Amino acid sequence: MKIKYKNIAILLLISLLSFSCANDDRPGDSQLDYNEPVKTALDTWIATTYLNPYNINVQYKWNQNTVDNSRFLFPPTVDKVQPALEIVETIWLKSYATVGGADFVKKIAPREIVLVGGVNLNSVGTRTLGIAEGGQRVTLFETDYIDQSDRENVSEFIHTIQHEYIHILNQHKPFDEKSWSAITPGGYVADWYNYSIPASNEIGFITSYARSNINEDFAETASMILIYSKAEYEAFLDGIEDPTAYAALKAKEALVVKYFKEAFDMDFYALRDAAEINTSSVITN
Amino acid sequence: MKIKNIYKFLFAAILALQLSACDNNTEAEPKFDQTPTERLNARKTELSEALLSSPEGWKAVYFTDNTILGGYTHLFKFFADGSVEMASDFDTTTSRFKSEYQIQLGTTVSVVFTTKNRIHLLSDSNDYPIDALESEGYRGDFQFLYYGQENGEIIFRTNRNNQELRFVKATKEDWDNLSQNFDMIPNIIGDPSLGLYRGLETNDGTTKKTYDFNPFSTITRYTTIADAAGVYDMGIGYAPNGIVVSPAIVVGNQKLSNFIFNEADGSFTAKGTGNVSATIKYSDVPFLITTDYKIMLQKPTTAFGYIAANLAAAPSNSLLYRTLLNEINASLPSTQKVNRVQFTFNDAAGDSYIAYTFTGGKTTIYHNITVAEDAVNKTLKLVSGTWENNVGVAIPEPALLKNLDAELTNPKGLYVRKESFTFNASNTIYTFANSNNNGFRMTTYAFQ
Repeated sequence: MKIKYKNIAILLLISLLSFSCANDDRPGDSQLDYNEPVKTALDTWIATTYLNPYNINVQYKWNQNTVDNSRFLFPPTVDKVQPALEIVETIWLKSYATVGGADFVKKIAPREIVLVGGVNLNSVGTRTLGIAEGGQRVTLFETDYIDQSDRENVSEFIHTIQHEYIHILNQHKPFDEKSWSAITPGGYVADWYNYSIPASNEIGFITSYARSNINEDFAETASMILIYSKAEYEAFLDGIEDPTAYAALKAKEALVVKYFKEAFDMDFYALRDAAEINTSSVITN
Repeated sequence: MKIKNIYKFLFAAILALQLSACDNNTEAEPKFDQTPTERLNARKTELSEALLSSPEGWKAVYFTDNTILGGYTHLFKFFADGSVEMASDFDTTTSRFKSEYQIQLGTTVSVVFTTKNRIHLLSDSNDYPIDALESEGYRGDFQFLYYGQENGEIIFRTNRNNQELRFVKATKEDWDNLSQNFDMIPNIIGDPSLGLYRGLETNDGTTKKTYDFNPFSTITRYTTIADAAGVYDMGIGYAPNGIVVSPAIVVGNQKLSNFIFNEADGSFTAKGTGNVSATIKYSDVPFLITTDYKIMLQKPTTAFGYIAANLAAAPSNSLLYRTLLNEINASLPSTQKVNRVQFTFNDAAGDSYIAYTFTGGKTTIYHNITVAEDAVNKTLKLVSGTWENNVGVAIPEPALLKNLDAELTNPKGLYVRKESFTFNASNTIYTFANSNNNGFRMTTYAFQ
């Protein structure tokens, strides 16, 4: 009797467990809007030029989550987006592809490029031209002001992306920070913007911004050499009067060349030459 | 208790649990009819439909920061394909431009102008109207959080600094006449020939209150109003038929912000319900009479000077004052002009005098005065004394200065006002006006 009683109870429990929840509502369609937004011709161009070949997303429409909301910035004028991206593609992506191999930028590249139309003016009067974040995203400012007929203007824009890409490379493989910091240890200052570029050159820095810290120094040294032509860079070095400064600049250049060779098996001078050819093609076009 | 009974109770308890386990009543009592997602989606649809609903689009006079800047009128016409046409009176380019917008879901539903158009001109760190706004542009935003609708208006709050911004239905005239907003600017700057003083007079039906209306800056579209108790912000937006002010003028329990221009007397009037109104108007009689002259009656020494190079264009100089200066200049050789008209009260020796200085080598002329007050009428009296040349030798009253000097030393005295605006320098401005209200008013810097 005892056993029977137990069995009945267990049977009842099992049946309850099996059927009690059988009538619950099944989930319906998602309430979130997962329709793809309407693609413009520009969006399609970006997909075929950046997203599909390089796996790089380009964001030109305003998204408050990818910009600093405390800054007074604005999104690019739509007509300015493609010219800016063409410059980036030609001078940066193609130069690295030529020298580092077709897959180089596909492997080490920011996964997202954010374009901002306006100037990012700081309260001390300096302009932030670009930001590289976590090796994943590069933000480029002032895209509304790009003028392809003006070499200096294009150079400054390209300087920004070259500079930020050096940061991305550094975020993948660090450079020889110990040797670098021994070259001009006394020159780094917080208020770098209070010093003229020629004055900074004469103590071994390629720009004044390079004086902010060794990471910026490395990125400035590498990116400036990349945007100079070979002749321009040699002329720049010839103009340095202080022998210690000259030696410091040459030592830094050697460390950059060594870094590209050791970290990525890449000939830095070949990269510089490729960039020079591509820069000229953008400007003369 | 027997073991068997324990089992019995246990089974009964488990059975009871099983039976109630899938009871729908265990859910928390819903406060809303819909889930949060459903509600956000509904808000999104609601905003989207509202933006598309107005045949001529929407108008917003955007005051980005009414403690320093005025209003910028924007017109929007939204389309279902995600594009928007926009025009603004940020500058004289008032034509339509097309760009894109999105309705985004974040902490709440918002409309974002995602590619560049006119509204972004307010958010350009590199284009700022005054040094105090360096790197902040015009402090504008272009992402507006949706807060609902009221009386056919869409209520937003700006994303960056949480300011209310209302979209009102635009009309065809709003688009057609946007460029006429700029025609209103001279009327806001004002015309000294219409009156010696400008003020704001409010009327709640029984009581009138007056404020000084200070000179308007077209660079910031901003001015201030002042009474004896303090100085108050007034951001101004332009309209073809008048102005919009922010913050609104509170009269009684009504808020007035839309002022209509009256061509006949140069005034701007905002009307509420009942007999409530506010008017910005001209008068030859001061709106506020103060005892700001008291510091001139005793030590320490004070000095106040009209400096032609800096203050000639000050709107608080009256036509009569300008005319008198011009008369003096016209009777001087062409290389010489009035440089300063400067008061010194109670110097180290206890003396007070007016100094008239000139450019082009003409030496200074001093008019010694004694200072008195008319406490009843609140005026400062400058009682004429002797005249001296630049080396302290007594001279007869120069005919050259007779008319101007007569205004300053008139027997009824001067109304003195410590103003709440500055002009071309950080010095405090004091104005001196003939209390006969004959149209004489002169602007000076305080030197202490």
